[in-house]
Amino acid sequence: MNLKNTFKKAGSISRARTDSMKKEIRMFGKEPEVPKGLLKKCNSCKSAVITEEVKDNYYICPKCNYYFRMHAFRRLEMVVDEGTFEQWDTGLQSPNPLDYKGYEEKLAVVKEKTNLDEAVITGKALIGRYPVAIGVCDSRFIMASMGEVVGEKITRMVERATSERLPVIIFVCSGGARMQEGITSLMQMAKTSAALKRHSDAGLLYIPILTNPTTGGVTASFAMLGDIILAEPGALIGFAGPRVIEQTIGQKLPQGFQTAEFLLEHGFIDAIVERPEMKETLIRLLKLHNIDRDRVKFDLSLRQKEDEEYQSNLNEIEDQKSISAWDRVQKSRKKGRPVSSNYIKNLFTEFYEIHGDRCYKDDPAIMCGLAFFHGNPVTVISQEKGTTTKENVACNFGMTSPDGYRKALRVMKQAEKFHRPIVCLIDTPGAFCGIEAEERGQGEAIARNLYEMSGLKTPIVSLIIGEGGSGGALALATSDEVWMLENSIYSILSPEGFASILWKDSKRAEEAAKVMKLTSIDLKESNIVERVFKEPENYTPDTMANVCKQIDYALCQFLEEKSKLTIKELVEKRYQRFRVM
Amino acid sequence: MIKKVLIANRGEIAVRIIRACREMGIQTVAVYSEADKEAVHTQLADEAICIGPAPSAESYLSMERIISATITSGADAIHPGFGFLSENSKFAFLCEQCHITFIGPSAEVIRKMGNKSQARNTMIEAGVPVIPGSKDPIYDVRSAAVAAREVGYPVIIKAALGGGGKGMRVANTPEEFESSFLTAQKEAKNAFGDDTMYIEHFIRHPRHIEFQILADSKGNIIHFGERDCSIQRNHQKMLEEAPSSAITPKLRKVMGETAVRAAKACGYTNAGTVEFLLENDERFYFMEMNTRIQVEHPVTEWVTGVDLIKEQIKIASGLPLSYKQKDIKIQGYAIECRVNAENPEKNFLPSPGTITGMFLPGGKGVRIDSAIYEGYTVPAYYDSMLAKIIVYADTREEAIVKMRSVLGEVVIDGIDTNVDYLYQILEHPDYCTGNVDIEFIEKMSEK
Repeated sequence: MNLKNTFKKAGSISRARTDSMKKEIRMFGKEPEVPKGLLKKCNSCKSAVITEEVKDNYYICPKCNYYFRMHAFRRLEMVVDEGTFEQWDTGLQSPNPLDYKGYEEKLAVVKEKTNLDEAVITGKALIGRYPVAIGVCDSRFIMASMGEVVGEKITRMVERATSERLPVIIFVCSGGARMQEGITSLMQMAKTSAALKRHSDAGLLYIPILTNPTTGGVTASFAMLGDIILAEPGALIGFAGPRVIEQTIGQKLPQGFQTAEFLLEHGFIDAIVERPEMKETLIRLLKLHNIDRDRVKFDLSLRQKEDEEYQSNLNEIEDQKSISAWDRVQKSRKKGRPVSSNYIKNLFTEFYEIHGDRCYKDDPAIMCGLAFFHGNPVTVISQEKGTTTKENVACNFGMTSPDGYRKALRVMKQAEKFHRPIVCLIDTPGAFCGIEAEERGQGEAIARNLYEMSGLKTPIVSLIIGEGGSGGALALATSDEVWMLENSIYSILSPEGFASILWKDSKRAEEAAKVMKLTSIDLKESNIVERVFKEPENYTPDTMANVCKQIDYALCQFLEEKSKLTIKELVEKRYQRFRVM
Repeated sequence: MIKKVLIANRGEIAVRIIRACREMGIQTVAVYSEADKEAVHTQLADEAICIGPAPSAESYLSMERIISATITSGADAIHPGFGFLSENSKFAFLCEQCHITFIGPSAEVIRKMGNKSQARNTMIEAGVPVIPGSKDPIYDVRSAAVAAREVGYPVIIKAALGGGGKGMRVANTPEEFESSFLTAQKEAKNAFGDDTMYIEHFIRHPRHIEFQILADSKGNIIHFGERDCSIQRNHQKMLEEAPSSAITPKLRKVMGETAVRAAKACGYTNAGTVEFLLENDERFYFMEMNTRIQVEHPVTEWVTGVDLIKEQIKIASGLPLSYKQKDIKIQGYAIECRVNAENPEKNFLPSPGTITGMFLPGGKGVRIDSAIYEGYTVPAYYDSMLAKIIVYADTREEAIVKMRSVLGEVVIDGIDTNVDYLYQILEHPDYCTGNVDIEFIEKMSEK
């Protein structure tokens, strides 16, 4: 049926009438029109979006989630407590060191247009009532490039933060060093980095938040030097800009190259944080790094019963000779057994995962994070196997790569800086054995951990929760104490590997397990480990509450004991622990 | 006077509005999605502008596209119809910003009435009776349980931004409360992107009675009597009638005046509907206010003789109401049935597809508002309503008989419809005697 013909007559009625009305003047106020600024175009999906809606949505495109660039003061409003920002170092003037033609005029125009005096604003503010020194770059000011004034303002802020013992937070965005100021701009990279080094040496926290775009000399200086580095989704982050790289190598770059997500995968940032969660995230991190907090002391006197319980449990395990070593091996590998994340959930609060080795990759087989243990901040490093097949594959079945060990070491060094005790949860069949692992120095990575851990100036305790496979486990167990779950194992090699090397027959694994002395009780007897925790009959995440209670008590005891030692005594004890073996 | 109206809707309501405009000598602009190229509204309007692909989010819900279409076509007003952007205060605000007349209340009023907690507070202040319920917005199950105890079981859990039955659950006992609350909240979050909830006392066996009002920009507000919309499934109305067999002239006066008071309290203009729950003993409670024309407006039109769409346009043009309260006389009985493309046997599963053959009856006292024709393909993207059949007679009994007769004649081939199901309702003894409440359909399907 063709409706057009059907409706011809009906349509003509109004057309005839309206023709005569066309002459009438419009009586209705103003002509319909879209007022300027009501709509804006999204740079990413190209659709028209309502400006108000974008503003109400943290300057995120409601259609495609693109992050619009933000004015520095809007950014401050988004994260700092209302009315607490106090600006520092305003009115600094660029000296135009190259006498670059037109530069002063350009600065004058940009100042006028943006109402900013340079590309960064710095000052002091409260975030969740924690005082911080905060800097925010504004891309409207010559792409927030770093010339002398930007470098100077950041350096002064960091220096003042060092003397006032404040954490530093910088919202970074920049095209890089400011070309118009030549070599002076280059020197700002060294100047800002040096100031940050002193700030860090003073034991203070620095969190840069990388926003779109962070490139060039800024990436190669203050952007990448954070204790914790955050980024906004989709932000372009890199040293050389993508266009420069494409022109240089004559190749098209892959999709997603140099995005925040790319950097996370490659181990250069700790986390990608969405704008609506930014303030909460910063508050969490500031709380975890609050240097004014006193250590919570544990009152162990009320928990003496647990001591007795632990002892009687231990005796029970020792009497239980009927369970064969091979049975224990099987149990340690059993599917459904609690994994690291279960322990983290049960033992710690406010766990915040941080990522990356800052070298090449973020290894999912190692999970690192900051958390509270009875109100005291701790660093948690755990080997992850995952529970589903998909997770198993993602975690490479718990086989750690060199990147994983390097991530662990980076996080341990950070724990040392902030005087946080370290808890390692060990569960690995062994370090990953593969071409890439050798290429990136698996042996070096493990060795480096043993070397550095032995002298780390903070308490370390390691708990083997499943498999403690060889060097892959030791790289997280050069600790003050090593503890084991009843049915976990710790050995030079897997029983299969042992049988294969010594007897050329991996099928004799059961026999190997027997001679290797790899069970918790064997190792306790030979003083390789300090504690063994009894497991219930069917050990699953649902039945682990009691075990965690025991671990919790042991951790309290451990931390209380270690807090009484000087750093020198602590490190010496750790040295002797291995010296006598 | 408005010269050219863009209709930001589709289906029978778009057609209804185009027809009203044509009779008033107003030019019309239809907007359509790629799926509606062959739709009646697209063909019937003086001009038609394609505003995007089939999914509503990219066409009929795309505010900026509709605004651009309006400006490009030179229309000076937008009629939003019902559904889609009709109760979106942001859209109304945009229209205001662009000097486009939004045929409906102001953005401010839509926003106020769209947020149920705020609407409720406004009503309490205006002395309109409301159902006992939680005072503050609720976000978590624990405080929800406390509130539930306070208002008294059974309770109903609702989304603050809800509508159309989404994010809504009844809990009869404290035992079933937690799971009901969590499901409702999840639904709300998914449907409206907001998980603010509130809880109120649940009234057993109420009738759904709503009052049509019109308010002009001069401050005149009148009501046009009630509609009884108790026949609903999952809070979706199926059959409506006016007047209600449960309302005496005295109660009509009281409720009507209350509805006018409610509209006054929020500074209402244009057409609106105040929904009440009526308890057996003639106690009534304000439920919500719909800030738009409604699907079932024809039953009111028939028993009062008023063309509500035309009145809407006149009010939006700044003209005063053509009627005074004393002019409004309720005469005769009208019943409306919503004919949907759905299969009642398969839990009312929507049944899009091509209509291969069709016959829609007529005759004295029969009005059919539809946008379908033989060969038309019902798209899967939108609401499944095909047509509204409205009958009118002197008495309720006659109207029922007439509706049965009309439904008996309806032929829609090629897709499944609920016509037989509607017929069953009209034959149900409880319906025929007027013994209905909002649980009628539930009870009917249990048998």
